This record gives sequence, structure tokens and C-alpha cells, in this order.
Amino acid sequence: MMVQQTIRITLSILALCAHAAGGVAAERPTYAAVVQSAVEKHVIPRIDELKAAAYPLPGAVGDLCRTGSAAASETLSSQFGKVVVAYAGVDFLRFGPMLEAGRRERLSFWPDPRGFMNRQLRLILLNKDQSIVQPGAIAKQSAAVQGLSALEILINKDVPLGPGEASQFRCALAETIALNVASVAGEITDEWEKPGGWKDKMLQPGPNNDTYKDASECASELVKALLVGLSLTADLQLKPHIDPKLKLAPPYEKSGLQKAFYAASIASLRGLYDALALEDFLKPDKDWVKNWAGGAWRTIEASDGVGGRSEKAQRADAPPLREVFDKMNGLRKLVVGEMTVDAGLTVGFNELDGD
Amino acid sequence: MAIDRRSLLLGTIAFAGAAPFGRAFAAGGSESDVAFVSAARRAAGDFCVLLLRADGSVVREIGLSGRGHDIAIHRPSGRVAVFARRPGTFAVAFEALRATPPQIFAAAEGRHFYGHGAFSSDGRLLYASENDIAGARGVIGIYDVARGYRKIGEHPSHGMGPHEILLLADGKTLAVANGGLDTVPDAGRENLNVDAMEASLAFVDAESGRLLTKHAMTGDLKSLSIRHVTQDATGLVWFGGQWEGAPSETPQLVGSAGRDRELRLIAPPALGAPELKGYIGSMAVSADGRIIAASAPKAGHVLYVDSATSSIISQSALKDVCGIAPEGREDFATSSGFGVMRFETARASVISEVELHDLAFDNHLRRVV
Repeated sequence: MMVQQTIRITLSILALCAHAAGGVAAERPTYAAVVQSAVEKHVIPRIDELKAAAYPLPGAVGDLCRTGSAAASETLSSQFGKVVVAYAGVDFLRFGPMLEAGRRERLSFWPDPRGFMNRQLRLILLNKDQSIVQPGAIAKQSAAVQGLSALEILINKDVPLGPGEASQFRCALAETIALNVASVAGEITDEWEKPGGWKDKMLQPGPNNDTYKDASECASELVKALLVGLSLTADLQLKPHIDPKLKLAPPYEKSGLQKAFYAASIASLRGLYDALALEDFLKPDKDWVKNWAGGAWRTIEASDGVGGRSEKAQRADAPPLREVFDKMNGLRKLVVGEMTVDAGLTVGFNELDGD
Repeated sequence: MAIDRRSLLLGTIAFAGAAPFGRAFAAGGSESDVAFVSAARRAAGDFCVLLLRADGSVVREIGLSGRGHDIAIHRPSGRVAVFARRPGTFAVAFEALRATPPQIFAAAEGRHFYGHGAFSSDGRLLYASENDIAGARGVIGIYDVARGYRKIGEHPSHGMGPHEILLLADGKTLAVANGGLDTVPDAGRENLNVDAMEASLAFVDAESGRLLTKHAMTGDLKSLSIRHVTQDATGLVWFGGQWEGAPSETPQLVGSAGRDRELRLIAPPALGAPELKGYIGSMAVSADGRIIAASAPKAGHVLYVDSATSSIISQSALKDVCGIAPEGREDFATSSGFGVMRFETARASVISEVELHDLAFDNHLRRVV
């Protein structure tokens, strides 16, 4: 509560300063323009990046399983890291193709506080059921064992993947999972980019469009994704570090990728925020909102998400995670309470997060 | 940095007594004017429960330490209890028609509320939908009103992720909307078992906790998370769900079932009707028990259904509408996340509308009298 009060007081002071100085408004963009910018400059490049990163993954697993060499192991670790980082950039785009066919959970089963994935993977490894490693069969298993979270465990087992008999089934399973990851990533790209796909849906709203009747609905969808991403990053990546009562393992901790995951989440969120040009919708007396948001982004981007300083930080210190958490929530409030309001977009209190 | 749940609750909750919410709505009236109650968020970002007159103006507000959700009401006594939104752990009980200090109580260790509850018909007990976090199972917490809402027992909800629970007209049976989704507070509001969810509508004996009937969502409806329920004049229970599956496979989200009648979905709307975007946020029945209302906040619509024919009467439009409650014999009051309270007929004709500035109504609006 005290933090909220501090934010409110800070915002009020900034509002007074901005009012005194007299702000200059940028030209107000159209909804269609921001949607086009967000889809073409943000969403599509990132899903393409995921597909491109995932494509060599099965080969990298195969190489390690055939050779067992240190070089192949390093290549796989590096490729796996690229896929995780690419995934972090699209994790919060929870609409359209990502939502169909349970693709998000099938790609990455995190958070997993009950340890579903470990339990199911252990059973599969124990039973060594060959039918599971047949082409396409893994896609019929629980989402928990279909994607990157399960692959991470298989890669980081005490006994490394290699040509020996001890890792034969594990190799077959890892390769199957890697193929599934590449396949799901490919499906997402196809569903977005095919003629009449989700990209077209978002760029051509209208009465005959079964999902979006006008460009404001498309813009609202993208703003909601941004808000979902800010919430997910604050609550699942930062909060467990500042509230010791929370027991939630960071994403891809076994591979040491939690910082990279945070950095990729933030970079993608910032990219979407910029592409949506929400600040350009603000009324002339709202310079304080831009100033506050700019400061919040600097703090968020200065952190590595686990208490240290980001390599790309624009400020010298490592901001305390509590501050980063509060700034992220403050930014979310500004987007909902100021930017979308001035933009005339409908992002309702009840519709955001159903219950 | 650890946040002690109880100290946070007790330290921050504030009783605003009869303080009016805004000047525009403060004039005149008394506690007995209260007609509706709803949780809300104020512009500053803090949360409260609002007691409203029949015209939508505010009689009284009670501050909350976090976001509230639904309100259980015992109409003969005017007793109400508001629950924290999932996965919150606080609840606040108070009297709607007299400005007495509220009573605060919390979920037991290892439990959290799902935002809904129901009083027993004699008002002595309060039932709450809860999560047994470690056990990954739904439970119905039982609270003794006379002993300051002390928890005295639990029934199984006979499913996972129970949401709304409704005491049926027989006064003995609870209808439980088991959403089927597993959540753990450590992972926020993330659903952990979407591909293995098991939603159901369970009829449970309120006294013994015995399962009387259970309608499980299977096959094409496996991903339909049942969340909200109401009962019509014939005794049928109507439910509204949230679709957790592929959006392109979304079924009808509203249906009905009875203890001795199988589950049925409503007839599809006419071609060209706006879609509901996979989410029903609240259910209500008209005072005469004939018309079912289902709000779809993501789509910004209220669907009105004739309970006798299971066919859609009309569909009204209001941005971020979610709260719905009966008004008159067969009309409804609705409330939105943009502070609008609208009264309308089941034919979607607007009777009147009031906008309360700087507040957002939360999901549920309940009639007090």
C-alpha cells in the first residue's frame, strides 16, 4: 500500500511539473497504423525468430546423441538457449494461434509449481515406452512433456546425452520433443502468416471478419497482450525473489537461462510497447505519464531479473527487485488508466483476466 | 519483504462506515435504501465493496485490502459476506442494512478462496469455495456465523477449482461449479492443468457433503470450465462457463442441468449474433424465475435466455459488462468495469443508466432485498 501511495504521490508531482511546463503532443496515430506496426515489426519477426531457432534443435539433439562430443553438447546448449530466449519473446502473446491447440503449454510448461512435468517425465523414462518416441506420438501426451521444459531436463541429466546404451531412450525422447517444439513453432508461424491467417485477421478487420470488427479491437488485443506480459513478468519472474514465502522455480533455471528469459521478456515487452505507440495517444497535458513510463522502463531494463544489473542497463546501479516490481505494476496501471483511456481503447476491468 | 497475510489484512482494511462515495450520490437516503451490493475498484487503484440504492447511487462503502469478487447474501437477516478474488485469502462480513463494523476472517492455512460463497437458509452457516492447495482438490469451507465466522468444517467440492456455489431453493442442496482448473498461489493466476482439466457441475448435500449428482464435462466440452450458476423457477440449475480450449472450437457457454436431468447447452444464437469471446463472467435469474441472464465481459454483451425453451431472447451490449442482478419482475440491473450501472429489459431495451465516475464495478452485482 505504501508503494502504491508513493507511486501516486510521484505521479501527482510529475503531473504538476508537466502541467507547469506545458507538454507538446505527438501526432495521434490511427489504430490501423499501430496494429500494422505491432504485427509486422513486432509479432511476426518474433514468431519467425522462434521458428528459426527451433528448426535446428532436433539436429542439435541428434548430433549430440550420435557423437557425445563436447562440441555437440555446447552447440545443443546454445541452440536450446536460443529457443528459450525466442520463446520468452512470444510467451505473452496469448491469443490467436498461440492459444489454439494448447500450443503455448506444449512449447513451454512453466510455471509448474506442482512438478507435473518431472513426475510425468520420470514415468516415461522409467517405462521406456517406445510408442511415445514414434513420429508425432509425443504430441498426444500431456503438454507437460511435449516441450522445452521437458527437453531441459533431458539435456541436463547427470548422465549426458550420447551414443551409449544408457542414454538411448533419453536420446530418442529428446529428439522427439525437439521435433515437436520445431513443429509447434512452425504451426504458430504458419497460422499467423498464411493467407487469411491471424496476421490478415488483424490487419483486415471488418464486418465479415469473425474475430475483429474494427481496428480498435485489434489494437485492444495487442494492448491486452502487453498487460498480460507485464503481469506475468512481475508476478512469476520477479515476485518470487521478493517474497520468500513464494516457492516458484525461475524459468529454465537448470540451464542458467533465467536472466536471459527475463531480458528477452522485457525486450519483447518494450518492443511491443513502442510499436503500439501508446504515448502518442496521450493528451497534451500528459507529459508526466511519458516521463514516468520512461523512468519505469529504465529501471525495468536495468535489472537482470534476479537482483543484479542488466548488461544493457542505462543506469549505473542494480535497482532493487522490489523497485523493479513496483515500476512494472505502476507502468501497467499507467497503460490501463491513462494511455488506453486517452487512446479510446476498451480494456475493461473485468474482461482482462477472467474469473 | 515477506508479507504476512493476516497482518496485511488487518492492517490495511478500513471501515468507511456510512461515508458516501461521491458528492453526486451522497444526498439523502438511509441504510434501508440499500438495494444492490458489488465489489469495485476506485480510480486510485484501491478496492472496496459498494452498497447501492436502486438507482445505482452509493449509500456506503467498505474498503478492502485487495480485490474482492462475489458477495454471499442472506436476505432475511441482511447479512452479507464478500470474498477476495482468487487466489485471495480474506473475506469480510457485514450487515447490509445497518452500518455496523465489518467482521474480517481469513482462509485457513493451506487454503485460499475462489471468490464465492453462500449462506445456509437459516443464515447460521456460510459456505465458501476454497482450494486445498497441497491436496490439489476443491473444498467447501463451512463457517459458523455466530462465532465470528470461525471455520468449523469442510466438505469436498467433488472436483477441482470450485468457483460459484449456490444454495438451491430446497435449502438443502449446494450446486457447485467446479471449474476443473488447478491453480497454486505461488504461480499467481496461471492455470496449471489446462490440457487435463476436469470441470463439473456437482450437486452436494449441504449438511453431509455427500455427492448427489455430478455432471462432468467430457468429450467436446472437456475444456468448458463451469464457473457461475443460477437456478430457475422450475429448479433447473443454469451455468455459464469459460472456454479454455481452442477459440475456434468454442461451444455454447451457457447451459442447464438438474439433479435428475442431463446437462444441455442452449440453442445456438441466430447467424450474425456477436460471439461471446469464450467467457461468461456472471449468471442471474429474473425475479419471476423465467429468464436467465449471462454476462460476457470480454465481448461486452449480456445474453438473455428463456429458461422454458433454452433459446436466446436477446443480447444487449455494454462495454466490459459483468455484474447482473434481477430488477423488478423480469428486468435486470447490469454493471460494468467502466462504472456504468444500467437497467434493462430482457429484450435488451435500456430502461435507465447511471455512470459512477472514477470506479470500476467488479464481476458480480447482487440484489440485497
